[in-house]
Amino acid sequence: MSTVLAIDTATSRTTVALVKDGGVVLELHHDDPIAHGEVLPRLVAQLLEVENSIDEVVIGMGPGPFTGLRVGIVFGQSFAFARNIPWRGVCSLDSMAAQIDSDDFIVAIDARRKEFFWAHFIDGQRITEPQVALRQVLEKFTSPIHKEGDIYPSAKYMPAITGDIREPIYVRRPDAYPSPAGVTFRPMNALDLPVVASLEKSIYAGEDPWSIAQFKEELGGPDRHYLVAEKAGVVGGYCGVMIAGDVADILTITVDPALRRQGIGREFLKRMIDWSRNKKVEAMMLEVRVGNDAAQPLYTANGFYPLNIRNDYYGPGLAALVMRKELR
Amino acid sequence: MSQPLVLGIETSCDETAIGIVRGRTLLANVISSSVEEHARFGGVVPEIASRAHLESIHSVLTRALSDAKVSLSDIDAFGVTAGPGLIGALLVGVSSASGLSLALNKPLYGVNHLSAHLAVDALNSDHSLNPAIGLLVSGGHSSILKISNFSSDVRVIGSTLDDAAGEAFDKIARILKLDFPGGPAIDRISKEGDALAIDFPRGLTSDSEHLYDFSFSGLKTAVSRYLQKVPESKVADVAASFQEAVVDVLLAKALAAAKSEGMESLIIAGGVAANSRLREVAAQRCAKAGISLRIPPMALCTDNGAMVAALTSLAVSEGVCASSLGLEAQSSSGLDRVFWP
Ligand SMILES: [Zn+2]
Repeated sequence: MSTVLAIDTATSRTTVALVKDGGVVLELHHDDPIAHGEVLPRLVAQLLEVENSIDEVVIGMGPGPFTGLRVGIVFGQSFAFARNIPWRGVCSLDSMAAQIDSDDFIVAIDARRKEFFWAHFIDGQRITEPQVALRQVLEKFTSPIHKEGDIYPSAKYMPAITGDIREPIYVRRPDAYPSPAGVTFRPMNALDLPVVASLEKSIYAGEDPWSIAQFKEELGGPDRHYLVAEKAGVVGGYCGVMIAGDVADILTITVDPALRRQGIGREFLKRMIDWSRNKKVEAMMLEVRVGNDAAQPLYTANGFYPLNIRNDYYGPGLAALVMRKELR
Repeated sequence: MSQPLVLGIETSCDETAIGIVRGRTLLANVISSSVEEHARFGGVVPEIASRAHLESIHSVLTRALSDAKVSLSDIDAFGVTAGPGLIGALLVGVSSASGLSLALNKPLYGVNHLSAHLAVDALNSDHSLNPAIGLLVSGGHSSILKISNFSSDVRVIGSTLDDAAGEAFDKIARILKLDFPGGPAIDRISKEGDALAIDFPRGLTSDSEHLYDFSFSGLKTAVSRYLQKVPESKVADVAASFQEAVVDVLLAKALAAAKSEGMESLIIAGGVAANSRLREVAAQRCAKAGISLRIPPMALCTDNGAMVAALTSLAVSEGVCASSLGLEAQSSSGLDRVFWP
C-alpha cells in the first residue's frame, strides 16, 4: 500500500495528483503563470482532504521558468521533510511525453524570450538531456513538436516515471553580468534633477528634451521608477520606466557619451526588467529610433522583439521601432 | 497558549535564515548567506540568491531544529517573511513554510520584514514592547517606523530617498580606500579622527515635506568634493566627520519623530546598529530626552529568522488570525500591513 503525492510547477499550469497503488485517486490543476505560490498549497490541501496519509512525494524538477519551478520543488521537499517521508524528482518534460502516443516527437516548455526548454523522444524514451533553444531552431526538426499550451505536465503520470533527480533542471545560467566597474546605480532623487536635465539637453538637443520641471513631475508620478548611474560621484546616465495598465513602458535610457560602451545601458535595462517583473506586469515596451543600430542588439539580446513602426515619432521623418518583451 | 513554540523563516534577500523561539525566549538562530557569490556583481543578483535559498533551506532547517533541541512536530506555529524583498527569493521561503504548515496542519503567519526587524527586540528582555519609534538602518533599509502596536499598527513614517545608510558607509569607505564592508572600517578609523574636523551637510533637515526622510547622496558628494579640494586631509578626520553627520541626522530625525508622536521608547535595529558612535550618541541623546533606548544584540540586528519567529510568537500570543492558505509573497508591500491575511 503506497500513496504518492505528485506536484509539478514547471509550466504555467500547477498540477497535483494523489496516486494510490498505481491508481489515480484525484488530479487537480490550475492555469496561471505567476501564481504557483498561491495556487499550489490550496490544491494540495484539497488532495489531503481526500487522503491525508502520504508515503512519498514526487516532484517535477523542470526545466521551466525558475521562479515558478522552485515553488513546487521547495514546497514538495518541505512537505516530505515535515512528514519524514522520501521525495523523488522527475523531469517535467517526461510527464508531458507520457501523454503522447507516438514513436518520434519533441516536447517543449515555454522558456520565455521566444525560447523553449525541450527534449526529443523516440520509442517512448527521452534521447536528449533537456535543452533550451530559440523557436526557429526547434522548428528545423522534422519530428512533430508538442508545445506547452497544447499539452502540459500532468501529475498523475509522474509516479510511474522512473529515476530520481535531486537538483532543479535549470538548463540556463542565471542572468548575471559583472556590473560596470566603478559605476553605482541608485534611484533618482530631486537633488539629481539639475544634472539630469543638463545631460538631457546636451544629448537630445533638437528632439524636445525634458526640462527640470518635466523630470520633477515624472519623478513624483505613481508607478514610475527612475535610476541614475554615478561614476566618481558624478551622475553620468539615467533611465526611467513607468507602468501603464498591464505593460511597463521604458521612457528613457540615457548615458553620457563619455561613459558609453561600459555596460551602463545594459545594467539600466536589466534593473528596469527586474523592477517590472516584480510589479507583475504582462510585458515591457520601448521605442528605439529606426537607424539606431547601436541600441537594438542590446534589446534583442534581452528578449525584446520588433512590434511595429511609428512614423515621425522623434520628429518629421524620424521613425521609431516599437519593441516588446513578454514577462509572463 | 502562553508560551508558543514558533519557527520563523527569512529569505527576502541573500540570507537563508531560520529562527526558533518559545514565547520570548530565543532557542535557535541559523543563517546561511550567499553574499560572497554576489560580490563580483556589485550587488545582489536575484536569481543567484533564489537558487542559493533553495539549496540551503533544508540544511538550515535541520541545524535550527538541532540547535533548539526540538522536533518539527513540536512547533505550534510557523512564520515567514512575505514581503518586502526580492519576489523570487521570498517565494522560496513562503513555499517552504506553506509545505511545512500544511504537512503538519499548523498555522502559518506571513509577516512584514521591517516590522520583524524591530519586533526582535522582544527577545532582548521582557519589557513591554509597545509603543515605540523604530529606527531601522542597514545596507538595505533606512526607515523610521511608528509602532503603535506590533500586532496591528506599524507605519513607515520616514525612509531614504536614495541610498540606505549602510550603502553610504560602503561608498565612502571605497572613496577613502578602506576595507569592505565599509561600516566597521569607518567605525574603526573614526576613533582616531576628529569628528568635528569638517562640517559636512546633514541633508533635508528642514524640509517639511520630508520631515523624517533621509538623503545620503548629497553628503556623499560633499565628501568626494572635499577630498578633491583638500587631498592632503587626514582620512581618519574625514571618516569621523562623515560618520558624525550620518549619526546626527539618523538620531535627530528618529528623536524628532519620537517627540512629536509622543513615544517614550526608541528601538534601533539593522546592521548599522552595530556602529559604536551611533550607539554612543543614541545613549546620550535618549538619556537627555528621557527616552528609553533599546538595541537588540548584533546577531539579531541583521537579517535573521529569529526576528520572524519573534513577531509570529507575538501574533500567536495576541490571538492574531493566521494567514490564509496560499498567502501571496509581495516584493513591495505598502507596509501598513504587519501580518498577511
Ligand atoms: Zn532586512
